Amino acid sequence: MTDDPRARAVLWPKGRLYEDFHVGQRFDHHWGRTILEGDTTLFTTLTLSFNPLYFNRAYAKAHGHPDIVVNPQLVFNVVLGLSVEDCSEIGGPFLGVFDLTYDRPVYPGTTITARSVTTEARISDSNPRNGIVTWRTEGFDEAGERVIGFRRSNLVRLRNPKGAA
Amino acid sequence: MGEISKLTGAHNYFEDFEVGAVIRHARGKTMTPLENVLITNMVMNTAQGHFNEHQMASSPFGGIIAFGGVNFSLVLGLACQDCCENALAELGLDNIRLSRPVTHGDTLYAYSEVLEKSNADQDDAGIVVFRHYGYNQRDEQIAQIDRRVLVKRKSHWGDR
Repeated sequence: MTDDPRARAVLWPKGRLYEDFHVGQRFDHHWGRTILEGDTTLFTTLTLSFNPLYFNRAYAKAHGHPDIVVNPQLVFNVVLGLSVEDCSEIGGPFLGVFDLTYDRPVYPGTTITARSVTTEARISDSNPRNGIVTWRTEGFDEAGERVIGFRRSNLVRLRNPKGAA
Repeated sequence: MGEISKLTGAHNYFEDFEVGAVIRHARGKTMTPLENVLITNMVMNTAQGHFNEHQMASSPFGGIIAFGGVNFSLVLGLACQDCCENALAELGLDNIRLSRPVTHGDTLYAYSEVLEKSNADQDDAGIVVFRHYGYNQRDEQIAQIDRRVLVKRKSHWGDR
């Protein structure tokens, strides 16, 4: 018996590898996130996204909005962020995003949840220790209205590559 | 100039964009932990390669790699004033390619090409598709993004 608790520790691992994915698999991603006014204002100013709809409430109201408009790229990043543990935490780099639509404006105070469906999983031709996995991911507000949808692909490492020792 | 139009630029309405024109955006921005780690954590991206310097020191990259979502959001931001300051809405993105990793200390620059212009369902604005390109300080392309934007028409908004 040791006094060092690390000697008795069991790792609770995170993330998935290539063999864990199959076409048609559905994920209701964890947590959700209420997007606050401070989140979108900080994101907008740090990324230099200079459209006053994103940081001037009077200007946004003069354009028919009830409040400042949440920067759509923050909506994307939150939805992608919520999907990472299920889809891409340990497998490999993010390759691309396609067919992304911003379906409606999002306002501060909105709670976003995300879900994905695996739409493609194949071994990379050029790099057979890795697969390429594609998901269709969507984000919803608390009323269940879709606010964003997109397709994205990642390189995902194989747990047991063919020919590996 | 009206109370609304005085707040934004006068030369980036729908009528001002010509298909085929390429804009070199004046400002660059250096990727630091302020952009990468703050935004990665704020959006709860749990991949520690974007925020664990100790783990990444022994990776082939030798340090933290910025989250691709931050890389292209910064490129879209660098292009925002010129292309989207007079936008009523950003409608969507497509063909996002992240061609090279970005590390803390890399400086990003942006260029935008006007790919398409079309009428919208409303009279006071039109749709512009931009292709935005991001480069690092070594002139290597790090990202490319197509963005569809609903941009105000000067004829309807220039004096409001």
